[in-house]
Amino acid sequence: MAEKLAANAATKLSHVNVPPAQTWNYLRINDIAFEVPAPVTKGEVLSRLPRLFDAVETGIGTEAASWIVSASGDSRYVEVKAGTHRAEPIVVDVDAAAGTVCDTGVLVREGAEATVVVAAHGTPAEAGTTAALVRIVAERRAHVTLVEVVALGKGSQHLEGIGIDAAEGAMVDVRQYALGGEKVAMGICTNLAGRKARLTQDMRYLARGSEQLDVNHVVRQRGRLTKSEIVTSGILADAAHKTMRETIDLIHGAKGAEGREIETVLVAGDDVVNKTLPTILCDEDDVAGNHGASIGSISPEQLAYLADRGVSTADAEALFARAIFDDAVIHAPEATSRNAALSRAELVLGTEIARDVAEGLGLDEGEEH
Amino acid sequence: MQDTLLTIDGLSAGTEDKPILHDIHLELGSGQTHVLMGPNGAGKSTLGHVIMGDPSYQVTSGSITFDGADITDLTSDKRSLAGIFLSYQAPVEVPGVPLYSFLRTICQMRPELKTTARKFRERVGQICEQLELSDSFLMRELNVGFSGGEKKKVEMLQLLLLQPKLAILDETDSGLDVDALSIVSRGIEAYRAQCDGTLLVITHNTRILERLDVDRTHVMVRGHLVAEGDASLVGEIDASGFSRFEDELAAKGGVA
Repeated sequence: MAEKLAANAATKLSHVNVPPAQTWNYLRINDIAFEVPAPVTKGEVLSRLPRLFDAVETGIGTEAASWIVSASGDSRYVEVKAGTHRAEPIVVDVDAAAGTVCDTGVLVREGAEATVVVAAHGTPAEAGTTAALVRIVAERRAHVTLVEVVALGKGSQHLEGIGIDAAEGAMVDVRQYALGGEKVAMGICTNLAGRKARLTQDMRYLARGSEQLDVNHVVRQRGRLTKSEIVTSGILADAAHKTMRETIDLIHGAKGAEGREIETVLVAGDDVVNKTLPTILCDEDDVAGNHGASIGSISPEQLAYLADRGVSTADAEALFARAIFDDAVIHAPEATSRNAALSRAELVLGTEIARDVAEGLGLDEGEEH
Repeated sequence: MQDTLLTIDGLSAGTEDKPILHDIHLELGSGQTHVLMGPNGAGKSTLGHVIMGDPSYQVTSGSITFDGADITDLTSDKRSLAGIFLSYQAPVEVPGVPLYSFLRTICQMRPELKTTARKFRERVGQICEQLELSDSFLMRELNVGFSGGEKKKVEMLQLLLLQPKLAILDETDSGLDVDALSIVSRGIEAYRAQCDGTLLVITHNTRILERLDVDRTHVMVRGHLVAEGDASLVGEIDASGFSRFEDELAAKGGVA
């Protein structure tokens, strides 16, 4: 259960989203600082989750993770029994209007399947902070699907820290949608500890106005024959500011491991700030690591093809933005995340198109339009 | 006399440093099927792209009139909205845009095709079935990772959805196996039957024409339209190739 934060007192988190390997400080890409409300609780709060979760590394870093644990006031623990398929997603509902800060631990036992959803939505009455810390332990051959939707409005700052430990043969599928929020930090660290553990991670984002999006993607590949694939694509418009850190860490002993990361950014504003820190750390000979990036505008070939279908350059940018929302709604597995994406779509794309997105995906069944 | 849909009058065009098309005159009547044939590098695809308004080519003289309006200076998005469709030989991949979002957007831009999302989904579903294209493709990124045959089917899907007045099919048959060719041909037939649109089929392979009633055949060699005839010209070319036309052009001194 979330707890309201003390509104007046402030705490500074100086080192959020710190990547495993840092670069020159003057590039201002090594971390991001957040001013957050001081938690009501005084002193250090020990994690209320089983101790097993203490060892799970999160992408936002220990400073921010500790703050969330202290400020959350309570923790939620969910266990999915071995060999079961949990049909109902485990939903972490982060409501900006309520100033939600929450700490969640999910243990997916051997051979079990579960979907975890983190949906941050709404607009605070005044400027406000929300945060979610989600730590997931996937035992042998477990299959975890994680869907994150951050669809916040003006005046929202949000911290989202994810940590996942994957044992032998575990499969982790992550979909992240960053659709809005004045200042948002999303940090995810996946530890592919067991042999043949797999991660596929797909992030789509749209940052516009003066929004600030700060991301830290980390994969630790410890197990032999582990595989990771991280695909990130997004649009930066107006004077949006984005920092993306992507690290694949191929640790000694991870023979036969493969890691691939690719990022595509569409820059659609003159005052956009776009920073990327792609890193492949390698302490093992028998591994393959790959990084690719393309940063720019829509290619002339793509623009020509779209124009031949009646889509002008300005329409093309709108189409790319709509596509992110379509994709979010398609992959949102339950109502909270879907509604979060649709509400944000209404603000960004307008009511008519947002309604069309919903109708097009069959979310209007039973209604006549 | 059939209404003329497209008139190309004295058109010369090319890239910045290379003239490609020379003094082209062409008339396409409404509801007719025309075939444009010629050897590789003759300029057939260039003509298709110039009709569509591809900014990589500059028109140096002549005009293009479509549906009664001079479109020589119109941008390609406006030509598309006016009712011209060019099916690509190698359709472009557009990562980040699901096929569904793309199709929905290009249909909603046309007042005559605007409809509710539910009806649109039904229509797309019917066409997908007709083209033996799984509707799971709708959630995939536009043309990304599609096979050659799948890309051509997606082009046909767009053709049947948009129902243009003029469809230019640029070597739609290239790279297709027998089954895919048959499905694509059925798509073209359906377009003719449902929309009574005008077709300009650019090809140097006659198999795709087997299921079509061809009204006129045009032959292009080195950027010149050198011959025109009825459907029988297709059979003639199939039997003897283009060398006769190349020789005739050379004799006239028409080497570009």
